[in-house]
Amino acid sequence: MRYIMIAVMLSLCGYASAHQWTPTYPELELSYVEGILKVRMELFNSRSDVKYYEILVYNESFEPMKFATQERIVEVGYLKRKNIEIFIREQDRYRVTYICSKSKLLKGTGTATLVSSRICSKIK
Amino acid sequence: MFKKSLAIAAAIIGMNAAAEEVTITGTVASKCVITTDTVGIYGNPTPSELSTAPADGGVLPIVRYDVLQANFYKARITYPESFSESPVLTDVVTWTGDVTVAEVTDAGMSAYDTSKVEFNNVTEVDLTIAGSTWFQVESTADYGVTKAFPAGTYRAVVSADCIAL
Repeated sequence: MRYIMIAVMLSLCGYASAHQWTPTYPELELSYVEGILKVRMELFNSRSDVKYYEILVYNESFEPMKFATQERIVEVGYLKRKNIEIFIREQDRYRVTYICSKSKLLKGTGTATLVSSRICSKIK
Repeated sequence: MFKKSLAIAAAIIGMNAAAEEVTITGTVASKCVITTDTVGIYGNPTPSELSTAPADGGVLPIVRYDVLQANFYKARITYPESFSESPVLTDVVTWTGDVTVAEVTDAGMSAYDTSKVEFNNVTEVDLTIAGSTWFQVESTADYGVTKAFPAGTYRAVVSADCIAL
């Protein structure tokens, strides 16, 4: 039993994985559709335990806002980068505040405690 | 004649190749990186308790925040208040937890433990110094009134958020 615990501890010591979402302060740009603005974000996944990320858009009070993107749940392989375009209605331009990406954890994977990461950028 | 021309052409190409330069560019911009340093493990010190505390046989989950520039982000860490996976539980589970600074790259970051804001199961820290901070999360689940947890696998989720200020 002691050896199993030591093996688990050793395997955890070398474990490190990260989630990156940039830029910190993205700017809304004109899109090719009238009345729709877009924002470009980049997601970098170096979490080997996570393959999917959810895109979320909030107002200042962290209430969900309407938006469109190619996929709301994005598949990003380990050590891969993905550029994501998020489309927002022009009427919401002063209400949209945070653009976030959140790691999605698959059921039945990992150990006893899982860590879900969410990074939010703020519209300039 | 053809061999000579070929040799001259090869030499010219070779000279050109030697003169080539490869540029490496990089940009340093503000960003926040959340790293799962250690995933936690629940120890089972008594039949009615699950705890990540090392004294209880558990392993504390550790999350690292890297910020490239000061005052651009705040960390928001939430310890669990429910299991994401468990056997069927028929009684109430009482959750407690705590988030503390475990390691820092700048001595000034140890002040995060006193400046942090705690409400419900959430801890918020303004990341006022550039560098890396390791936060450890303690989580304890007590079942009923000293009731034994049913046998099975228990999993819970710690949420680590990094929010631009």
